[in-house]
Amino acid sequence: MTTQAIPQAGSAPRKGYRRGGKLAGRSLAYLILTIGLPLTLLPFLMMILTSFKTNTEALRVPPTFWPQHFTVENYLKILNNPKLPLLRFYANSTFVAVFNVSTTLFTSALVGYLLAKFEFPLKRILFGWYLLSMMIPFQITMIPSYLILAKLGLINSLWGLVVFSAVNAFGIFMMRQFCETLPGELLDAGRIDGASEWQIFFRIVLPQLKPALATLGILVFMSNWNAYLWPMIVLQKIEVRTLPVILTWFNSTYTGQPALIMAATVLIVTPILLVFVNFQRWIVQGFTFSGFK
Amino acid sequence: MNTRHQKPDKRPKGGLAIAKGRFVASILMPLLLYQSVGIFILAWVFALMFFDYSPGRLGGPILGLGGSNPFVGLKHFVEMFTGTSASAALFRTSLKNTLIFAFLVLPLNLLITLPLAYLLEAIGERLKVIYRTIYFLPVLTSSVGVALIWMSMYDPQAGWINTILRAVGLRPVAWLSDPRAGFLGVPVAMWAVVIAYLWQDYGYNMVIFIAALQNVPHELREAALIDGATPFQAFLRVVLPLIQPTFLFVCVMTMLSSFQVFDIIQVMTNGGPGYKTQVLMLDIYRNAFRYQNMGWAAAESFILVLLVMGITLIQMRILRTRWEY
Repeated sequence: MTTQAIPQAGSAPRKGYRRGGKLAGRSLAYLILTIGLPLTLLPFLMMILTSFKTNTEALRVPPTFWPQHFTVENYLKILNNPKLPLLRFYANSTFVAVFNVSTTLFTSALVGYLLAKFEFPLKRILFGWYLLSMMIPFQITMIPSYLILAKLGLINSLWGLVVFSAVNAFGIFMMRQFCETLPGELLDAGRIDGASEWQIFFRIVLPQLKPALATLGILVFMSNWNAYLWPMIVLQKIEVRTLPVILTWFNSTYTGQPALIMAATVLIVTPILLVFVNFQRWIVQGFTFSGFK
Repeated sequence: MNTRHQKPDKRPKGGLAIAKGRFVASILMPLLLYQSVGIFILAWVFALMFFDYSPGRLGGPILGLGGSNPFVGLKHFVEMFTGTSASAALFRTSLKNTLIFAFLVLPLNLLITLPLAYLLEAIGERLKVIYRTIYFLPVLTSSVGVALIWMSMYDPQAGWINTILRAVGLRPVAWLSDPRAGFLGVPVAMWAVVIAYLWQDYGYNMVIFIAALQNVPHELREAALIDGATPFQAFLRVVLPLIQPTFLFVCVMTMLSSFQVFDIIQVMTNGGPGYKTQVLMLDIYRNAFRYQNMGWAAAESFILVLLVMGITLIQMRILRTRWEY
């Protein structure tokens, strides 16, 4: 909501500067930026290299850079560990993320459309409530939410991670913003052709919102996939946990085996990272839209 | 809830208005029902902080409040700021550490992101995408993963950071476990989590700065340079004022998220050594879910929310002034 005005206007005046012949300045920029790269990449590289070392080598002082005895033993150990059914944890995380993305996209589009295109008595109150709930951080609702889940018997259930996530105030505001740009004639044309209001929503409004929904979807997916605190509170049994929670459990169970822990980190962190990198453009778009993380 | 009856409209309603009204009502009914749970949760937490509540005790008939979970009024808040009990002292430590963390993160973050974004904005389009992708990688990484990677970097024996320190002739440091070692009056463990946090977070502010910088016409900067300003002066006097709204916005967002820091610290130090990195979220989590001391934790989270809300209101102020100009 804050910076989205910026990219639209910013395309024109770039070329002239580049012709300016400031070769020195630009090489300096490249130089400094390139120095920054290893600082960003080195920790990732360490993680990957350590995961291919034997455990004794990983504990050696001073540490080796390249693995001297390149081994995939750590990976095999994790993948063959019956106490660590990785596929199940992947399934848990996927279930929560996909479910929450679906409900959030649906409710955001619907309520956003409602707030943008309809007049009804409670509109202002509803609007104010969503504005307020964007300001209320999750921490304050955490305790009663937990108590409710406990009453409902949803502790240790993946459903506990989805019941309070069906409506997202940020998503509603984002969709409302996009719905306001929809021409009223388009909707009225549908009405004249005899479409019901629901048909108009599904056939006309939703297709128009596709790019915005993609941005919102990837953001919600990412925040769910990486969520840690709330899943840790709700999921106390090992077999129902999501990936970040299982990763810390693994870390505290196998202390003193850094190579093994790094292999687990690679297996849990990197696959989705590749997906996120591919969606990077949309994630950046969403971030610059309003600072949602 | 049904719009048809409440709207003071004199004309007879057509089928379209009825259909629209039905549509709105069919969404509003379930929606309001769902949102009322949210209001109920807020009311509950607001009540909780005035009670000495623990879910283990069987309290009064309404939400277990009262009875063996007695009403204590403002006692929690008085205790937090003036009390001598261990949990009150720990709350104040947590509050102090949270502020230290946030006020370390903010300037360091700006010091890294603003110049890098500025440089990145000036280079060619294709390389820009590659650089940005790499700088953005940690933002996309799960914070638990970030914490584990940095824990191995900080390992006192085999970790790379100490290896580098030894190589340049400095004394190795037990980064995450030495409660006495400090730098500039801040414990090394705090620096360690701040650095890990910065590493994960800086790409985020960078993309926001890049978006803002793209909007600054390069002619303005050129004009300043022609008038004899140094590139640094041109940046300070011309570019920075033009992106000021974004700058303030980034400050606020960075503050907000660092007040609420939890994941990285919980995994890396769990508040240690000797509560040197105990921050508010960690204290709230512990009191609520480990010690079942939920009334106290609710009161603590209220203080955190006051901090966060205060900053959010400042942010909205800033945004309003921005819209005006």
